[in-house]
Amino acid sequence: MNNRFIYSAAMVMILLIFGINTFAQKTNNKNMDKMSGNFQLPPLKIEQYTLDNGLRVVLNQDKSVPVVAVAVYYDVGSRNERQGRTGFAHLFEHMMFQGSENVKKAEHFQYISKAGGTMNGTTSTERTNYFEAVPANQLPLTLWLESDRMRSLAVTEENLTNQRNAVQEEKRLNYDNQPYGEVFNTLNEMVYKNFSNSHSTIGSMKDLDDATVEDIKEFFRIYYAPNNAVLSISGAFDEKEVKQLVEKYFGTIKNQPKPEAINVSEPKEVAETYKKYEDKLAPFPAFLMGWKIPARGTDEYNALALAGKLLFEGDSSRLYQKLVKGDESVVQLFGINDERRGPSGIAIGAIPKPGQDLSKIRAAIMNEIKDLSQNGPTAEEMMKVKNQLINDAVRSRQSSMSRAQQIAEFALYDGDPTLINSELDKLLKITPEQIKNAVNTFLNTENRALLDVVPAGQK
Amino acid sequence: MKKLIKLISLVAIISAFGTNILAQNMNEDFRKTAPAPLAPVPFNIPKPFETTLPNGLKVVIFEDKRLPLVSYRLAFPTGDINDPKDNIGLTSAVTAMLNEGTKTRSSKQFSDEVERLGANVSASSTSDNTIIAASALSLYGSDVLKLMTDMVLNPTFPESELKLYKQNTIEGLKFQRSQPGFLADEQTARILYGSNPYSVTSPTATDIEKLTPEKLSAFHKKMFVPGNATLIVVGNVNRDNLLKEVKESFGNWQKGTVAAMKFSAPPVRQATTLTIVDRPGSAQSNIVLANIAIDRASPDYFPVLVMNQVLGAGASARLFMNLREEKGYTYGAYSSFDTRRQAGSFEATAEVRTTVTGDSLKEFFYELNRIRDEKVPEQELKDAKNFLTGVFPLRAETQEGLTNLITSQQLYNLPADYLQTYRDKISAVTPDEVARVAKKYITPDKTAIVIVGDAEEVLPQVKTYAKQIEIFNTEGAKQDIANYGKAKSGEAVNVGGKWDLTIEAQGQKLPVSLELMQDGNKVTGSLNSMLGKGEITSAKVSGNKLSGTASSEMQGQKVELTINGTVEGDTMKGTINTGIPGFPPLPFEGKRAAGTVSNNETTKPSTTAKNIAGNWKVETFAGGQAVTVNVKFEQSGDKLSGTLSSDVGDGSVSEGKISGDNVDATLLLSFQGQPLTVILKGKLESDTKMSGTLTPEGLGLGDLSFTGTKEK
Repeated sequence: MNNRFIYSAAMVMILLIFGINTFAQKTNNKNMDKMSGNFQLPPLKIEQYTLDNGLRVVLNQDKSVPVVAVAVYYDVGSRNERQGRTGFAHLFEHMMFQGSENVKKAEHFQYISKAGGTMNGTTSTERTNYFEAVPANQLPLTLWLESDRMRSLAVTEENLTNQRNAVQEEKRLNYDNQPYGEVFNTLNEMVYKNFSNSHSTIGSMKDLDDATVEDIKEFFRIYYAPNNAVLSISGAFDEKEVKQLVEKYFGTIKNQPKPEAINVSEPKEVAETYKKYEDKLAPFPAFLMGWKIPARGTDEYNALALAGKLLFEGDSSRLYQKLVKGDESVVQLFGINDERRGPSGIAIGAIPKPGQDLSKIRAAIMNEIKDLSQNGPTAEEMMKVKNQLINDAVRSRQSSMSRAQQIAEFALYDGDPTLINSELDKLLKITPEQIKNAVNTFLNTENRALLDVVPAGQK
Repeated sequence: MKKLIKLISLVAIISAFGTNILAQNMNEDFRKTAPAPLAPVPFNIPKPFETTLPNGLKVVIFEDKRLPLVSYRLAFPTGDINDPKDNIGLTSAVTAMLNEGTKTRSSKQFSDEVERLGANVSASSTSDNTIIAASALSLYGSDVLKLMTDMVLNPTFPESELKLYKQNTIEGLKFQRSQPGFLADEQTARILYGSNPYSVTSPTATDIEKLTPEKLSAFHKKMFVPGNATLIVVGNVNRDNLLKEVKESFGNWQKGTVAAMKFSAPPVRQATTLTIVDRPGSAQSNIVLANIAIDRASPDYFPVLVMNQVLGAGASARLFMNLREEKGYTYGAYSSFDTRRQAGSFEATAEVRTTVTGDSLKEFFYELNRIRDEKVPEQELKDAKNFLTGVFPLRAETQEGLTNLITSQQLYNLPADYLQTYRDKISAVTPDEVARVAKKYITPDKTAIVIVGDAEEVLPQVKTYAKQIEIFNTEGAKQDIANYGKAKSGEAVNVGGKWDLTIEAQGQKLPVSLELMQDGNKVTGSLNSMLGKGEITSAKVSGNKLSGTASSEMQGQKVELTINGTVEGDTMKGTINTGIPGFPPLPFEGKRAAGTVSNNETTKPSTTAKNIAGNWKVETFAGGQAVTVNVKFEQSGDKLSGTLSSDVGDGSVSEGKISGDNVDATLLLSFQGQPLTVILKGKLESDTKMSGTLTPEGLGLGDLSFTGTKEK
């Protein structure tokens, strides 16, 4: 009977469709807040230095479990792509698993897997990352693999064709052939004006088709240079030994001229306020609303991230309680924070139940936003959010892989990996007043993009 | 800017290993091969503190001071197999309802309190175990422990919440029938475990309907007792303080124990069998090859773990490399050993494209035989062991991971040093042990093959793999095998006319009518329902199967409906799929309106009964054994009588009848000295061949498929 209830995700969907409501009762208001003082996490031990070729190295020693995680973050994402060159950053991520001078195609995965490790790579607007977690004594293996592809990636016509096809297949599968698959990309085009920000990470089929081996080689030379990357290592290692190994494997890789600086600045206004999008695969109408907000790390961004938690994260969030539970007008409600180094975004969307008036649902969302902008969060909500922040911060420090990634991100984006030790404190200090004001300035406004998704039906 | 770059590279030349820089660059031979690992780092998991309270509750405390977190598990070594036979699903209902209302908290109050702490509390049962899990910041450790105590000791199972649970669960039961993975598991468990309770994978709607607050309360009282429980605490806790809190919370829990239950052993398999679950139109086949293997306490556990790592545990193993990397039949092919408290099984699985179902079986059998017959090369064995020893600390890295390891060590009564010696035991496995356990626990000549897929397409590809073949529909009802495999050769039945169908949707019955016109095997027509009208432009009939799509408008939205039906005379059964994500296909059944058949060739009753009088050899498979019954039919008009003899006993044919190709008869025989009635339902395939089912009454064997051959 192990499999009895594994289909819970689908069950949730069914639950939502049937609009089942648990009875609401007043919560007892016993004060359980024990955080009168500031909650202090024990700081992580962090050491950073730069190799002569410009590679930034960050070490976080933690010997509690004999595991080590290695993350390499390259400072290249879709934000670096120009017109006619979209999708390159992601295409390149695929190329990085196609072999290098001493590691044959697809061997990377096999080496890590046989060592009992896990690995992957991802691409976002902001960066491309690669990471492995292995038993501590396999540290040399990961450094060998990562350094070999950093210094000698096999950029060949055959690999390019092969991976271009794979990426195009991925695009067909995950975007073109999925109901609602294109809506987030379309919304981004409406929110952001600057091409660096507005185009999709997966890119256009035409640009991918046009990519030549020369383009890709050039891309590699510029962006995959050691001076454009952060190497972050977290876990059980000997400090002296790890430095020797890093020098041995990465020290002789040639640096390159610094990539051209990019401009991601945005006007305050969204690019487009309304669009109707015909989706051939969508079974129900849906909508998505997007707002432009300040960059990550600013007090305003952080206040809005907390506002997002209150509005749409979890079953006790305001919009879930109002629309899914209370009005039973919505099948699915979702919200995301689009966190970027430059101007960022927040999006809220819903798939209403058939026959529902979409404008009423949007009005209900704007009403909650308005309430938050006038009255701010309640004391109860602030306590919940703070406990969730602490809980998330503590849990995300348990695994070496997650530590290596967070540290690499702070090092790459902010030039300071030790921010991981002060980030929680900064978030906990956000006041209800700051949340109220940020919501009022950035969300409670007509300056937003509204995307109506209309099922186009099959012809 | 240029200047700065030059400066940097100059610095590089000066400082990198002083004078040796040229030699460094030229001599990088170390890059040519993967580096050897460093010295292994010992992983010392201290042993936890253990004690038992006077009421019998065992308490296990592991102080993990790494981070300000705490995790609790209240674990019971009883689970779904302890359900009463007449009320499957009781354990999981009780477990799921624990936090849906207590003496002092409503369901909502409970979840609000948990969320406010940023904590997690959950409860679930598996076939062997029931576990209540909670985790939180250690700062809220006491609060969460109190909430957990409340749900375990004081649940009230409110009527309204139970009603909701029953509704949702019944919807879930319907939904899971649309999932091929569930259907494969259901059949595999049934076939492997026979009368052992592991054969049950899911309650039925009837089981769920039977649940009442009183039944839940009574069962809770019986099973949730301290003598049956272990409380495991891992985290940043002070042992003495914690023990005090635990005594306050659980000290008054009323004493009680649960007697261990013994179940019948799974049947011993004698031959390879093939079971197909028919999903018409399925693009993929879910393949399972299974046999009974080891339980969790088996001394062969570690050799089996290593052997399975070589064979199919991951994406570097043989099955994956063969069926996916080399052949491209599937996204993944794997094998696993499911080791439970009382028994266990081996399974090799893949979801493959329908057209390569037979080819995939061939590769599965090749790999299963290869690991039995050939010694595993040294390097491959080393890789497998490296993986297993390597991945172990990764699993123990988070507090949740470590807590789960300790919990299963406790629940399965594994040795006290199990976690400490795990990696050594893997390392100690020898090639001979691997060879021995492969031969012993992988038995391709007695495997149970289960395939969920389009039976019409699949059957011709795989029927040579087993003598005994049975086919079920997705509702679990046995199908007449004679109806399959016709598509290629058999003529299309006539589906023309007006059909009145009833669709079951969300517990409601909706009338739908179909008007069909047939030209050869092409079908066109229209579909009418209260939700709208649709046009059928490109349906087809193959054998007695109708398949096609109808474009329809539902509440102003265009919807493409996919219809799959099976026609038997003037009745049709099947499913309509709306294509809406998350909605399972809707089952329908209905009748053809009288007098609307345009060409009733296929439904014309036979005017004269065929003559089957003579000696028939009827072969079936019962209780894991091939059984042959020799039946001598005597016929008068359409009435049948006669005598029979078999290895198990002799008897007579009574109340026999033949109509068209259908043979119905009751066989009365003496079986081990007892009278036994067997219902025979057969269908003639030719004058000398029939097949169908034999249902021995009162033995709980269900329907056994048989084939009959007339002797000359």
